[in-house]
Amino acid sequence: MPATPIIHFDAVTKIFPVDISVLENVTLSIMPGEFVCIVGPSGAGKSTLLKLIYAEEIPTTGEVYFNGRSIGQINRKHLPFFRRNIGTVFQDFKLLPQRTAFENVAYALEVDGKSTEEINQEVPEILEIVGLGDKMHKFPRQLSGGEQQRVSLARALIHRPKVIIADEPTGNLDPVSANEIIQLLLEINSFGTTVLLATHNKGIVDKIGKRVIVINDQKIVHDQTKGKYALN
Amino acid sequence: MKTLKLWRTFKEGRENFRRNGWLTFATISILTLSLFIVSLSFLLGVTTKLVLQNMREKVNISVSFNPDVSEEKILEVRNELSRYKKEIVSVEYISREQALEQFLAESNNDPVIAQAIEEIGENPLLASLVIKAVRPEDYPLIVQQIEGSTFQNDVSRINYAKNKKIFDRLDRINQATRKAGILLGSLFVFIAILITFNTIRITIYSHRQEFEIMRLVGASNIYVRMPFVFEGALYGLVASVVTMLFLFIAARFIAPLTEGAIAQGNFLHLYYDYFWVLFGGLVLLGISLGVLSSAIAIRRYLKI
Repeated sequence: MPATPIIHFDAVTKIFPVDISVLENVTLSIMPGEFVCIVGPSGAGKSTLLKLIYAEEIPTTGEVYFNGRSIGQINRKHLPFFRRNIGTVFQDFKLLPQRTAFENVAYALEVDGKSTEEINQEVPEILEIVGLGDKMHKFPRQLSGGEQQRVSLARALIHRPKVIIADEPTGNLDPVSANEIIQLLLEINSFGTTVLLATHNKGIVDKIGKRVIVINDQKIVHDQTKGKYALN
Repeated sequence: MKTLKLWRTFKEGRENFRRNGWLTFATISILTLSLFIVSLSFLLGVTTKLVLQNMREKVNISVSFNPDVSEEKILEVRNELSRYKKEIVSVEYISREQALEQFLAESNNDPVIAQAIEEIGENPLLASLVIKAVRPEDYPLIVQQIEGSTFQNDVSRINYAKNKKIFDRLDRINQATRKAGILLGSLFVFIAILITFNTIRITIYSHRQEFEIMRLVGASNIYVRMPFVFEGALYGLVASVVTMLFLFIAARFIAPLTEGAIAQGNFLHLYYDYFWVLFGGLVLLGISLGVLSSAIAIRRYLKI
């Protein structure tokens, strides 16, 4: 019997009002521990595909399953708890500007009701892992883009999520910082965490050499296990 | 865990309050202004009412008796009138001698007047009964009763006609100020609510990007909302304290104008008398305005 996919799209279509179709009949399975690059031109539907996983959008038709459970069935009240299973990283970092690196990461634990002792222990550890041990008490504006993205990654990791979703995490970064972030994602993946990386950076995708899903014109046009960035 | 979270959201709210500097200042200013206008119009309304009440209390009618009526007869009338306790507060007998004394005192013992009275040779003033009614509206009735009584022929005159004008005017002023007070008061409360709501909405709007982030890291709606509710409560609390301070300053300026016009002495004493009522009311109004505005304004940002 095959293992349960961690993420499964069953004939998912998403149409935004009024009649703007972004995904058409997408079926897709991602197994635990996979590293998947999702590529495609801007507006192809990459971000929407990811948003459907962390329930920021709901499918117009079809179902999205997380660990065998339909996301559409989750009570709205329980969504915050569900989201703690998924770490998210974005192009614009999405850090709270009025909090230090430490506080940004700590926030994710505070909302979970973790004790102050736990927070004081876990947050420095994770910041150490992403290489920001010495910049914990700096505010986002005092950090470089690459450093901000690492804070964001630390925050995504703090709940020890099963899945990390990275939507264009390198879009605002210089090549060196971008590479560091990708290396961190690969390292996280090597410990068993599923990673979904949306990007349109061909160089990065080709270098990673993992599964590549190409989306174009609202559909999956390629799905290769050791893929390269190719639109046709 | 619940208390820990509540404490954390409170700390959050306090931090927002502190870190928002300029917006906090603007919000509190607007809220203070609204509360100030509302409470000042309340206090002024109370003052007007008290001034009128005070004036009414000073109003009375005096029934003068013909010079040939004996003191016993007048005292008899007084006793009779005193029995109408529902309508009449007091009946005071003023003898001819007392009347003269009062008259001289009121004219500051002017030697010219004293001399003029001496020339006349006898006391020109009449003995009288000063009647104070429970309700000023009852004066016409009391006058009517006296005019139709057995001792009507002993009565020289009733100085009611002169006072009637004052009564009528007082009644009109009283009614007008009450209407104006209610109208203006509710208008200001309404404006205060609108302004406060809008200001807090702007404060929350400036945070709108953070709500998405908070949700993405798994914060529940209530956890996102609570800090803003606490923040709103803090605005209300600080604004009411500042309002009390401003009211005190305003009261000190208004006080000399109201010296002696109200039973409490002046406006400042009124402020002291109403201090806790006002402060309690303002804190309650301020906090509920802040909390309600925050709770409503944030709703649109909490979609999923």
